[in-house]
Amino acid sequence: MSETSANNPMEKTLPRPDVRQKVTGMARYTADQYPAKVLHARAIRFPFGKGLLAEADVQKARSIPGVISVEVQKGKEASYAGAVVGRIVAESKDALEDAMEALNATYAMMPPRTNPMKLYAGVPQAEAADEAKLKEIFEGEGVKVVEATYTTQVQTHSCLEPHGTVADVRQDSAEAWVSTQAVMAQEDAVSNTTGLPASKVTVHSEFVGGGFGSKFSLGSEGTMACRVSKEKGRPVRAILNRREEHSDGGNRPGSIQYMKIAVKDDGGIVGGRVHLVNTVDADGGGGGIRNPNYYKFGNIVRTEDDLSLNGGKPQAFRAPGFPQGSFALESMMDELAAAVKMDPVAFRKLNETSERRKSQFDQGAELIGWKDRKPDGTTPGRIKVGYGCGAASWGNGKGKCSADCEIHRTGEVEVRVGIQDIGTGASAVVTDTAAWHLGLPRTMVTGKVGNSDFPPGPGSGGSVTTRMTVPAVRDSAENALTELKKELATVWKTEPEKIAYKEGVFTNPATNQSVPWKDACAMMSSASVVGHGRFNEEYWGGGSSDTVQFVKVEVDSETGVVKVKKVVAIQAAGQICNKLTAENQICGGVIQGISFALFEQRILDPVTGGQVNADFINYKIAGPVDIPEIVPVLDIRDTDTGARSIGEPTTIPTAGAIANAVANALGVRVRHLPITPKRVLEAMQEQKGKTA
Amino acid sequence: MRSFNYAIAENKQGLAAALEKGYKIKAGGIDLLDMMKERIDKSDRIVSIAQLKDLRGIRERDGGVAIGALTTLRELTENEMLRRKFPALADSIDNAATPQVREVATIGGNILQRPRCWYFRRAEYDCLRKGGQTCFAVNGDNTYHSIYPMGSCHITHPSNIAPAFVAVGAQFVASDGRTSKTYEARDFFVRPSEDVMREHKLPQNEFVTEIFLPKLPDKSAYVEVKEKQSFDWPLAACVATYADTKWNVVLAHVAPIPVRAVAAESLLGDRADIDEALAQQASEAAVADAQPMTQNGFRVHIAKAVVRRALLKACGKDFTA
Repeated sequence: MSETSANNPMEKTLPRPDVRQKVTGMARYTADQYPAKVLHARAIRFPFGKGLLAEADVQKARSIPGVISVEVQKGKEASYAGAVVGRIVAESKDALEDAMEALNATYAMMPPRTNPMKLYAGVPQAEAADEAKLKEIFEGEGVKVVEATYTTQVQTHSCLEPHGTVADVRQDSAEAWVSTQAVMAQEDAVSNTTGLPASKVTVHSEFVGGGFGSKFSLGSEGTMACRVSKEKGRPVRAILNRREEHSDGGNRPGSIQYMKIAVKDDGGIVGGRVHLVNTVDADGGGGGIRNPNYYKFGNIVRTEDDLSLNGGKPQAFRAPGFPQGSFALESMMDELAAAVKMDPVAFRKLNETSERRKSQFDQGAELIGWKDRKPDGTTPGRIKVGYGCGAASWGNGKGKCSADCEIHRTGEVEVRVGIQDIGTGASAVVTDTAAWHLGLPRTMVTGKVGNSDFPPGPGSGGSVTTRMTVPAVRDSAENALTELKKELATVWKTEPEKIAYKEGVFTNPATNQSVPWKDACAMMSSASVVGHGRFNEEYWGGGSSDTVQFVKVEVDSETGVVKVKKVVAIQAAGQICNKLTAENQICGGVIQGISFALFEQRILDPVTGGQVNADFINYKIAGPVDIPEIVPVLDIRDTDTGARSIGEPTTIPTAGAIANAVANALGVRVRHLPITPKRVLEAMQEQKGKTA
Repeated sequence: MRSFNYAIAENKQGLAAALEKGYKIKAGGIDLLDMMKERIDKSDRIVSIAQLKDLRGIRERDGGVAIGALTTLRELTENEMLRRKFPALADSIDNAATPQVREVATIGGNILQRPRCWYFRRAEYDCLRKGGQTCFAVNGDNTYHSIYPMGSCHITHPSNIAPAFVAVGAQFVASDGRTSKTYEARDFFVRPSEDVMREHKLPQNEFVTEIFLPKLPDKSAYVEVKEKQSFDWPLAACVATYADTKWNVVLAHVAPIPVRAVAAESLLGDRADIDEALAQQASEAAVADAQPMTQNGFRVHIAKAVVRRALLKACGKDFTA
């Protein structure tokens, strides 16, 4: 933060440059692309958990006017609702859907695996040496032992813009619009699918309505669009509908997390047993739970396993494995604190591994009003108030990115990076970083992303986009400025290094005359100069993106309804490129965390295995009234350099903090997500049963 | 979406003629278009009634209030007289759907909407209400289904507004283009045991023209409990009204029809003011004959809570103490 400038992004809260396009509907997403003569393709999907498509009236479907082709894979075993068992191509969406209906498909069904707790085999025996070690830990003198099983649900990505590709594959080149979080990777994918060289392929992803980890690959719909386009010689649209999106668009696998942890009377955690189960699809894989984490958990014997369900395949999902792990471990932290009668914040600080987070805990406690926290379940009246907290972190490793900064003779600047803006404001980051570094008003600079012909940048995974893009953009701006100085040096008959530049004004070293930006640019011998930039360590800061969140909830003890009233989210963020976008990322992470904690869950019918809530009516996501006051705090210290990741850590601790606040409010703990009224009432009933 | 013939009715006679030809009415279209897009409703003839302006509006008449069937939910929530004199109705409308939906959805469409059951709403489940052989909710996920058995189908009635009409003994006035006919709200909704494929008694050749409230209650309150506060259907809701020295207590979203809690009503007798203890007793009476399914027992508890709360709220008392 050494540089100060008139357009320092920390001192301004500028909306992203494309905000007008987005709110007026002018921004054109993949699903908005209708090239001339476009065909529509859609997969035929098995609607139940397990079985096969038995009969389908293909002839009738083909006879629908406008239907181009109908392919059905009879007898192919399907292992989840949404599995592809054929495809239809038609001249219009209506013809396509008429053909789907005309198929009048019948299915052979087998009993599906839908309920993880019914299939859970319990905690396996550890190795003999580990069991001996555990015995020692649990029987140690002056230790308290807490044993609990936590579960989390399957959460679907629920991207507002569904997965989709519009492909136009011609004889010797191809163009594709893909809703993706990895535009460069899709160029290769389209190339591989069509057999065309990558240099002849252009992928557009100028606007993307969310990815959350589910849009790294071209997907079966993208592959289908490319193949059919090549085959038919016409552009093809393959856009998932909402139901396909929920059932086959990716998900965060559910979990069963067993923890048995010993803690000393002084609050120090000794260690214990952790067994983790990922509830994944029939093929297995895609899981991985980050538990334990962040705190000094001592000596842990940890095992992990997969449990197969007849549901859609997991995909990477915003901090894969972390929110579910955090929910269990933050719940356990509060249960341990209670066992040794310590304040949860004091207990966390005692077992913290990070000095930064210790201070964040102090700051957060102050901002949420932790001093008002009452002992568990002691608020008078039916509406109980509770407070909870949790922590997280994220790494900031090095990476690769390149950028071009082009200064035009008109003075306008265009910066191109082969990244994508999946809704985070990445294009604002590109624009504002270049404007700031060049000392120009934002109106002079256009940041462009989402095109595979641009200099390659990273896919948006692991919260890398900003921290890798910013150094490359700064480097490109610096090199472009050098190129411009070379042009001026020729005119002024001097050395480029001798030309001073500050805040849009060049100084001619010979005459000491000030030349404003536009006048200087007009002196160029060519239409423009280009500076090539790459990720470099000079502008990279590393460090940790530490996070602490505090929440305040109200729980209706009569109905079990939980309302989050306030969230304080403290986030180590490093160099800020656009303050509003950074704070927006924090709020978005918190909202997704609230939604995970209280509402979202994939519901599979226990008999047929169909997803009965594959829509936005029954798959519940936090709406405006469910969103509390959120206080985003950018924790930036003098020693911090470089842009840091904030996309993922912001969604990790929210659910655990909410669970702890609910337990504090009620004096009863809900160990299962989502914390619905049903779960709250059942937990209270169970508690009543115990005390009666 | 399937293609369909679209007609626009210019007057009641034209509408009646269209209905005779098997046309289906589109008012706001909120529910109908959803059903058509999901290919659950396969109507190929749709008639718009948007031009029938005299079906729109709220008028005081004969000591009561007449609400045109085509009045939008937004227009109803903006009516100050109704909000003041029948807060239970205004509150229930405030809680329906979203501002965008309320802008377009009509009160007639609201009371005639189809159920939200997730098996009914999915084409691949050939359920009883669609003419099939099975209620998939019985062995399936019935978290949001009925807790009062009324036959072989276990939907909950989807309107959270209809109970207010049932509570005050409203009349649904219908027409066949020539004569008008009156249905008592309390006798309008159909149990699955009577007819598993219908939710109401209106025949194909008739349309609702207005909802008449003969008398507004002296006291009223609406309370609902939902999982999510933005755009969600209640787990249970209750309207309590007091008029002519009698209480009416009607539950919503717990049964295939808006269901009157008769036991609670008779227990309350003619007492205008209800205290905590009496409200508690009445709430227990209201759910005494509930028979939850395998996964929705918790909603009996919530039904009880909304009855207690609605009674106390109607008497101006704090129900959270």
